[in-house]
Amino acid sequence: MFNWFSKKQNKQKQTSSFNTTSELLHVLAQSMDFEKQTFTNSHSQQRFWVSYIVPLVDFEIVQKNILPYLLHSPIETLDDIKQMIPVEDIIITSDVTTAEEKMHEGYLIVQFHEFASEGALIKAQRNVIRNVSIPEVEFSVVGPKETFLESLEINLHLLRKRIPCNKLTVKILKIGKLSKTKIAIIYLKGIADEENVNTVTQRISEIDFDQITDSSYIVQLISDNQKSPFPQLLDTERPDRVAAILAEGKVAIIVDGSPHALIGPTTLVEFFSSFEDYFLNWYIASFFRLIRLFSVAFSVLITPIYVATLNYHYELIPKDLLGTLITSRREIPFPPILEALFLELTIELLREAGARLPTKVGQTIGIVGGIVIGTASVEAGLTSNVLLILVALAALASFTTPVYKMGNTIRLMRFPFLLFAEFWGLLGVVFCFCFLMGHLLQLTSLGRPFLEPIYPLRVTDLKDALIRLPFSQQSKRPQHLRPEQPIRFSKKKAKQKKDIDE
Amino acid sequence: MQAISERFKISPFLVFFAVSSMQIGIGVLGYQRIIAKSAGYDAWISVILAGIAGHITLWMMYSILQKTNGSIVETNQQIFGKLIGNILNLLLALYYTALVVGVLRTYIEVVQVWMFPDLKIEVLAAAFMLLTIYIVLGGFRAVVGVCFFSIILPSYLILTFVYTFEYANFRMLLPIFDHSILDILKATKDMTLTILGFETLFIYYPFIKNAGQSKKWAHLAILSTTLIYVVITVITFAFFSEKQLQKHIWATLSMWKIVEMPFIERFEYLGIATWTIVILPNICLAAWCASRIVKQVVNIQQKYALIVLSVICTVAVCLIKTRENVNLLNDMLGYVGFYFLYGFVPFIFILLHIIHKVRKKG
Repeated sequence: MFNWFSKKQNKQKQTSSFNTTSELLHVLAQSMDFEKQTFTNSHSQQRFWVSYIVPLVDFEIVQKNILPYLLHSPIETLDDIKQMIPVEDIIITSDVTTAEEKMHEGYLIVQFHEFASEGALIKAQRNVIRNVSIPEVEFSVVGPKETFLESLEINLHLLRKRIPCNKLTVKILKIGKLSKTKIAIIYLKGIADEENVNTVTQRISEIDFDQITDSSYIVQLISDNQKSPFPQLLDTERPDRVAAILAEGKVAIIVDGSPHALIGPTTLVEFFSSFEDYFLNWYIASFFRLIRLFSVAFSVLITPIYVATLNYHYELIPKDLLGTLITSRREIPFPPILEALFLELTIELLREAGARLPTKVGQTIGIVGGIVIGTASVEAGLTSNVLLILVALAALASFTTPVYKMGNTIRLMRFPFLLFAEFWGLLGVVFCFCFLMGHLLQLTSLGRPFLEPIYPLRVTDLKDALIRLPFSQQSKRPQHLRPEQPIRFSKKKAKQKKDIDE
Repeated sequence: MQAISERFKISPFLVFFAVSSMQIGIGVLGYQRIIAKSAGYDAWISVILAGIAGHITLWMMYSILQKTNGSIVETNQQIFGKLIGNILNLLLALYYTALVVGVLRTYIEVVQVWMFPDLKIEVLAAAFMLLTIYIVLGGFRAVVGVCFFSIILPSYLILTFVYTFEYANFRMLLPIFDHSILDILKATKDMTLTILGFETLFIYYPFIKNAGQSKKWAHLAILSTTLIYVVITVITFAFFSEKQLQKHIWATLSMWKIVEMPFIERFEYLGIATWTIVILPNICLAAWCASRIVKQVVNIQQKYALIVLSVICTVAVCLIKTRENVNLLNDMLGYVGFYFLYGFVPFIFILLHIIHKVRKKG
């Protein structure tokens, strides 16, 4: 109770840092990009003061829509401004807090007296945004080619265009003491589970942070388990994907200034499904999903298994294969673990260097590093070429994960596995796997189990998990989201079969 | 006792995995020799008999639990009063702890014999118990998750038995009924350690949603494990001759030796490593049960009980040094388990029925 009181007092203190508008303008004037000008109306000879923060204001609007009317229309009171000026948002207020907030959003304030407390706030926002571009992180060969941008309004526009439906509900919260970032929680009312929406809303409104720069901040701040290396909310840059998951009954979060939307609650398998899976025939999509799953397992396990077998269990290797391995490792002075660590770290270096450099240089680095360092280290006798092949394949396999953040986690995961393989061989690999399993079993996304539909097993949700069944089978929304309206479309119609020649 | 929140409960069908994963454990690796000792190659009948006995015990357990509408802890308290009931409960906790020790120590024994002869028991035991603590801290649902994966993931191992068919001679099973009923029953008794494990249901029963529905799943679990055991027994008997079998302590592992694929030989290494996943739920669920009893009886937080029990288990595992002691421990466990399943459970069952009858009349 006492806490609650003191919080409220704090808030009051914050809002009442200025008492009058003139005080506010005085403080703003300390910064040199603030402008205050006086004009005189030609009809009424009324003098007025216009103040604004220069970088935030669009001068085209000011010159075309505001100034001509201010100067040449018959304006005598502030209410006349509202009548005369053809701008959609004009607020007449003497409230300092609103004035402060709006001026930081790019509003002009017009006052009839230099120290008047009342003024008209006129919207003249300047929006600098790039054009809608093609997705680069989640590229798909077929399908829509638009991405989210750094502007919340445009992102919402992209979504609304895809779901022209009055069920689409947007809640906007402002978070961040300094940045006052707008965060939109988007869901379809009557389809999404209210409990999920409430969880998201509550967690976001409880965030206490000064500067929210990107949606990835939100992921880290509202995740169920913040110590886990696994991302527990899916991020995407594709409006089509967000529209699709909204229709499934999930909740999306869009942060102003971030081109990535967040999706929750999500599951582990969703991180391995590319959105392109839905554009392809279901056989092909399922095949690719299985390939991806296999490649993830391969990518994490192959070097640890190499280290384990060569350290402890060479009996496992058949005679013919053992010959090949011995030939390739004959000259190597290092134990398998050092060899593996050396190559894995080299690949990490290449990846990191490639990611930090501009695209064109990055490609060169990849080729130079991959081919030159690879061949040279084999020729110099530092690593065996069998391991080189395995590590390169593992790196390739790890890039098949469609979600970048999950890809990073998978790259990190192999190092504990390597360590355990060095200690206890295959036993260590399985032991480490058990730890991973225990961890994944405990993870939740917005309070829903992360391993669903595998554990807890929900057979009906398996239709769109490891494999993707045809659309006629997808007539129900995923069970784990507890949607309020579980049926998407009539299954009967979709499954209708005609007789011969009918 | 406060009611268990719906969030921590499991679906009825998951009981299938909880029961079967607890049954399949370290016993499967080498039970064939022990049962063949007394009943010879008629021992597969004993496996079936043991399965039937399991079904009956399970039925009694469900009846007991449905009457109490709680766990065995409450049953004991109701029947014997607070003091004696709680002593019994603590004995039960000790039994589950012993189960953890037995499984873990035997597994380490297997690892030492087959994989790493100079492995430090202390290190592996401590690592396993840490893993157990980590999983059990995640709650009952995480533990059952481990049970679930311990059935799903190692299920590929079943296929490896196909490789033995090439060398199998199923005529070795003939003649059937070559041994006396008594011998067969003795082998059934020896089977106890292998089919043991479903008695953990006594503790986690209140954690099942619509517990009545789980009954068929539990029976199905015992049925399938019995089937698997019978299949493995028959394959083993067909693969080894009777005298040869007596020389193989871990017959299942010995059979894996002949698996040969273009990229892998000596499959038992992979088998032993995979067995980690198989025994993990045995340890986790038993540790969960033991700590849960302690929490209910002594009224301390379950996590502290769990940590204390884990330390005790680690120390106990380290103290058992020789092969003879491991054998002794397993024999004891089988012995205690036998009387628990076929003595204690029917006793409570009858007692509870009499009490309910009397109360109804009164």
